[in-house]
Amino acid sequence: MIRRFPPCQRARRAAGALASLLLTLFGLLLFTFLLAHLAPIDPALQVVGDHASEASYAAARHGLGLDQSLPRQFVHYVWRLMHGDLGISRSTGQPVASDLLQAFPATLELATVAMLGGGLGGLGLALLAARHPGGWSDRLARVIAIFGYSVPIFWLGLIGLLLFYARWHWAAGPGRVDDIFLYTRPAGSGLLLFDSLRAGDGELLRNVIAHLWLPATVLALNSLAGVARVMRAALLEELHKEYVTGARARGSGEWRIVCRHVLPNTAGMLVTVLALSYASLLEGAVLTETVFAWPGIGRYLTTALFAADTPAILGATLVIGLCFVLLNMLADVLARLLDPRTR
Amino acid sequence: MKRTVLTTLLALATLASPLSLAATPPNTLVVAQAIDDIISLDPAEGYELTSVQALNSLYQRLVQPDPAHPATLRPALASRWQPTADGRGLLFTLRHGARFASQNPLRPEDVVFSLSRAVKLNKAPAFILNELGWKADNVDSYLRKAGADQVEVRWPAKVGPAFALSILSSPVASIVDQKTALANAQGGDEGNTWLKTHSAGSGPFKIRSYQPHEALVLDANPTSPGGAPKLRAVILKNVADAASRRLLIEQGDADIARDLGVDQIASLQGKPGVRVQSIPSAAIDYLAFNIANNDNPALKNPALWQAARWLVDYQGVANKLLKGQFLVHQSFLPQGFPAALDDNPYKYDPTRARAILAKAGLKNVTIKVDVFNQPPFLNIAQSLQASFAAAGIRLELVPAVGSQVYAKVRARQQQAVFLSWTPDYFDPHTNASAFAINRDDGVKTLAWRSGWTIPALSDKTDAAVAEVNPARRARLYQEIQREVQRNSPFVVAFQAREQLVLRSNVKGYVQGLNADMVYFDKVVK
Repeated sequence: MIRRFPPCQRARRAAGALASLLLTLFGLLLFTFLLAHLAPIDPALQVVGDHASEASYAAARHGLGLDQSLPRQFVHYVWRLMHGDLGISRSTGQPVASDLLQAFPATLELATVAMLGGGLGGLGLALLAARHPGGWSDRLARVIAIFGYSVPIFWLGLIGLLLFYARWHWAAGPGRVDDIFLYTRPAGSGLLLFDSLRAGDGELLRNVIAHLWLPATVLALNSLAGVARVMRAALLEELHKEYVTGARARGSGEWRIVCRHVLPNTAGMLVTVLALSYASLLEGAVLTETVFAWPGIGRYLTTALFAADTPAILGATLVIGLCFVLLNMLADVLARLLDPRTR
Repeated sequence: MKRTVLTTLLALATLASPLSLAATPPNTLVVAQAIDDIISLDPAEGYELTSVQALNSLYQRLVQPDPAHPATLRPALASRWQPTADGRGLLFTLRHGARFASQNPLRPEDVVFSLSRAVKLNKAPAFILNELGWKADNVDSYLRKAGADQVEVRWPAKVGPAFALSILSSPVASIVDQKTALANAQGGDEGNTWLKTHSAGSGPFKIRSYQPHEALVLDANPTSPGGAPKLRAVILKNVADAASRRLLIEQGDADIARDLGVDQIASLQGKPGVRVQSIPSAAIDYLAFNIANNDNPALKNPALWQAARWLVDYQGVANKLLKGQFLVHQSFLPQGFPAALDDNPYKYDPTRARAILAKAGLKNVTIKVDVFNQPPFLNIAQSLQASFAAAGIRLELVPAVGSQVYAKVRARQQQAVFLSWTPDYFDPHTNASAFAINRDDGVKTLAWRSGWTIPALSDKTDAAVAEVNPARRARLYQEIQREVQRNSPFVVAFQAREQLVLRSNVKGYVQGLNADMVYFDKVVK
């Protein structure tokens, strides 16, 4: 049973959590801002190019606020941020907020499908492995887990494209949809699975799936490896506990023991592993996004880093940081709900 | 159980298989390339490679180079022109009945607005118009509506009409629809913010949508004064990874793929369904020593510059290391440019280089060379490292990202640098002013960045741009090139070639020497 807190205590806890969230994000921003300015890249040159006159270069520096001191630049940024303005990206010339609204849904969609695939696959493998430790299923699970961890993801992506796209035609090529849909794609949330379902556009949905499944599988394989390894250990630990021996002595079947007793006891761990895995997927898988021409936040952030595009770097970091913190908080809450020992 | 798994796999394969066979849409050209470099599609601001390639399809200038013979200018939005009596102005008559994609008619006011705003906004390409002496505070006094369909363009710089026409044929001089631009202006920006992602021109295409990092989609403009394009649309699709671009073109999911590696091009040569097209580019690659750097006295010694000319493995790079992507070229005007030199007097000869160094008493020379941290620059720099070592010169490579190298060079902190230089407009002065003018007046030309003090050569270069007689002008530029080739801290070594892969059914694609000379309007497939 969940312990009930009186309302004032709950409000205090919520305020504490909010303060902790804001402080974390502020620290993240400050750290990222300083790191972005340590990079030996001249953002004004990046904008005007090498051939520009000194007058254009000076105008660009002024326009970007680079002629101000670093503390002043940071204070200005935070002030504008408090008013909901993330600034203008120097590399795309667009408001960072609108760039992120385009890039983030692409990553969110890919990461969510990959997390679901990786989570389910990882749990399945862990169950197979823990059921007969040392047996063939355990060895197979270990091979898959090591493969998922150790094979470079860009190589896997390219091989995947070569086989499933170029040779067998089971998957569509790089990009989120076929070019023909660039004209007809409904303007919506940017989550194409959701948008096509909402618009009732079956053809678009099939095309989105054809483009999505391969990069999602490549990412899921990596995430699956992590989930399988952690959950195998957790399941094995539980399976050696006395209550499992007791259940076996009472004549319960193995799957019943696993599903009814062991899995609920490891649910807290599963939630934590999944949350961490999801958070790292939401960071944007730069290499996967590059190989699959996926216009997500990973590529956006990398391009911004190479261009020393501070507003874009800070905006993307803020979104990623927010995802991390919120997912961690969600995992804590869920773990508390699922596992009385953590309350 | 096994049967269920097999059935499920088969169902999944069936679901996906018909979807993955999609080719490019009909009447649409799909170009796979990296478009991450686009900062702005406003002709007064866009100066990135992809931007200038697109601007040629979106806007027209008063005059434009003939795609087949770029040295010849042909009428575009101006139907005819004539120099003013003093030779410092041109009177343009606008093409009758010309309309922008918005269907607004072309007016002299549009010409005045476009040139004036490009100077006043003072963005990256503004320096090209500054060559005519136009500044933000004087440009309006040199531009005048001279009649219902005439506009007079004058300039204070001591340059002739031929040079002015070259400047006016560059993308920054594109004519923008004033009414559309001002209708979308924000806070006195003359439409700059809106034009970063939209178009207001009269070119054969107009922007349908631009999604940064994803695609730039162009729709046909059937009423373009230059004639309607043959295709309905062009999609410049962002595919950052070269291996993915190769797969797309091989499968027919792209009609053109740019920037493939040497190995990828080699593997596609002769494959059915695709063809490789090599197009000379105006980019030249050079090594430059910095005389202004006092850390290394050898840099000031002309014997080092002379020896270096015999220490580049020209043929090895052009014919083996980066086969097909470079030509040996040893003067600062690229082949195909007016007044270019076609002969290459130097070859790889370490014995001769060693003799030059020994005569000058140069021993144990070590030089730090800044270079971009990506191919092909790094590959060529590594070749230089090996070939210079044959004469006892040790090159220490300092790889870094582009803007880092540029920042260092603009501050004259480098010892030597291996870089590429692309002309800004189609006139010899573009490169001559970079390599052969240094007046130490705050203009950071390439000669200034190398600390090369050349008052007499600077005067000669200024005289060349002011020369009206074409033959005398060409002769002057050839003499200037010989001087730079023989006696400067620059070792011009290569001219780039761009290798494109096209699907076999793509016909009519034209690309010229300069970066902006990309023509999609005659393409059919």
